[in-house]
Amino acid sequence: MPARNESQWRATPPLQEGEWIDSRIYSDREIFEEENEKIFKHVWVPVCHESELPKPYDFRTTSIGREPVIICRGPDNQIRAFLNVCPHRGMLIERRPSGSFLEGQPSGNPTRITCMFHAWQFDLKGNCVYVAREKEGYQDRLCKENVGLRRLRCEVKFGGFVWVNLDDNPSVSLEDWASKPFQCLRQTLEEEPLEVFHYHKAVIGTNYKLWHDTNSEFYHDFMHYHNRVTGFNDAYFARKNEAFDHGHVVVGTFEVNYANYEGFESRAELSFPHLPPNQWYMIDLFPGFNFNLRGSALRVDVVTPLGPDEVMIEFRGLGLKSDTPEERMTRINHHNSIWGPFGRNLHEDLIGVAGQGTTMRPGTEPRNILHGRQENQTIHDENGMRHYYDEWGRWMNRSPREPDKAYSPSQAVAAE
Amino acid sequence: MPSYSLETVLAVRETIYRATLALDDQRWEDWLALCSPDFHYAITSFSPEINKDMIYLQGDYKDMENMVRMLPKHNTDHSPLHRHTSVYTVDIADDGRSAEALSSVVFFQNMLDGTNSHIDSGESRLFLLGRYIDTLKVEDGIAMFVKREVRLDNRRLDKGSHWPL
Ligand code: FES
Ligand SMILES: [Fe+2]
Repeated sequence: MPARNESQWRATPPLQEGEWIDSRIYSDREIFEEENEKIFKHVWVPVCHESELPKPYDFRTTSIGREPVIICRGPDNQIRAFLNVCPHRGMLIERRPSGSFLEGQPSGNPTRITCMFHAWQFDLKGNCVYVAREKEGYQDRLCKENVGLRRLRCEVKFGGFVWVNLDDNPSVSLEDWASKPFQCLRQTLEEEPLEVFHYHKAVIGTNYKLWHDTNSEFYHDFMHYHNRVTGFNDAYFARKNEAFDHGHVVVGTFEVNYANYEGFESRAELSFPHLPPNQWYMIDLFPGFNFNLRGSALRVDVVTPLGPDEVMIEFRGLGLKSDTPEERMTRINHHNSIWGPFGRNLHEDLIGVAGQGTTMRPGTEPRNILHGRQENQTIHDENGMRHYYDEWGRWMNRSPREPDKAYSPSQAVAAE
Repeated sequence: MPSYSLETVLAVRETIYRATLALDDQRWEDWLALCSPDFHYAITSFSPEINKDMIYLQGDYKDMENMVRMLPKHNTDHSPLHRHTSVYTVDIADDGRSAEALSSVVFFQNMLDGTNSHIDSGESRLFLLGRYIDTLKVEDGIAMFVKREVRLDNRRLDKGSHWPL
């Protein structure tokens, strides 16, 4: 077809319902606010890894939606999560990204979580243990027992990741939420402790779902020279995209030929436990968390949406805690070669979604975004995104194709 | 102070500044010509988030040569980098044949792509801050890199880069 005029451009594509969506879901402010309320406050979020707080009294801060969260390891070795908000006048209790409560702070004692503002103190279970001039100010009207921290649902699971849910009564347990997609790698990730060796973040002018889409569709391997030369063969094209309940997707494995990229090497010698050499699995969890295992290194992406057109992506790289220094160095090199901030693939992926973000700024005209490739649910099929948006529609009670209308199950997904 | 010192210091500074210009101009071969065959390159950072020293990229001479040779195969942000390097200290070994140099370096991106080039192109943005921690060998009055560590302050790297820093 030649270039189209406006009505041709806006016309319904010759695809079934569910095979395209409206770009407003990537750009509309009202939808974004609703996603924070309806989705991010109710899902399990892998906020960090247990190896980031290895010792009792270690802490790590993060946020979910707009809510600040603190993760602490107690003297009993239990990892717990609280809102990082002081019950007195709302100060952010801990300002640093990580540290240890074994150190005293200018306003307070060691072994306690102290709010610097008026020196209220909490123990590592979130109990308030000290209110400055308590009796003088509150007499018998309010006491320590009334002002504990807000505790959050928190579990360590699926390879030592720390999962937090802002909802006290999540609709499903973490086990039921993610055990099926994790099935393919569970033994591998749980055989022995893992350790984070890489952290960096990117703030990109795009919608968080566009990042997740890129992690869920492999058709874009055409833009990665590395993936074309190390991947494109019959086994690659036979890889399956498998959809799971709750909007998750797993992309099945095959053997990658790393040595086909000049100067790169096979990762066979450092495969994660229970895996044949050079396998590549991808677990995409709704609404924006990604576990990507390529032979010798695990990468985990966590999105924090900052606006309809802005997302922070945190990137972690993990190896085995038992690695020798030489093994660890090799894993780091493998990780960095394509996934590091100066690696060959990640830069390309980020340019891709930044470009989408540019065409889908808030206020741009609504356009059709096509998710209609059908290839027997193999690697370049876009069923992963179709499955995701069907789930998104359900959570939001909006049709991804006509976001002003209520959700109804998509025909394309039902047929799959 | 031995008499060769000042000359050697100047040679070291000259090499660091020439490398800065070659990298800014994307004259990769000219940059590599300033590196010795046993050269080792690394981009590192410390993350207080995970409390770890990290390596973001590393390689030997061959790896770097390979990396720049493969650049045309890859999709890369077109915005050129502009480095501002200041050599702070140069310490010459007693035999005068090697040196360690510490420089402060700031990387700006002169936007060509930006997010929307119509709006962003032509603008310069601060990209990264760090230090060059260099080891050089000096022969016949010429200094060559044996080792370069680009020690970044940043962990937020946004789109990152395909180029050596
Ligand atoms: S706001 Fe925390 S003690 Fe007052
Ligand atoms: Fe990619």
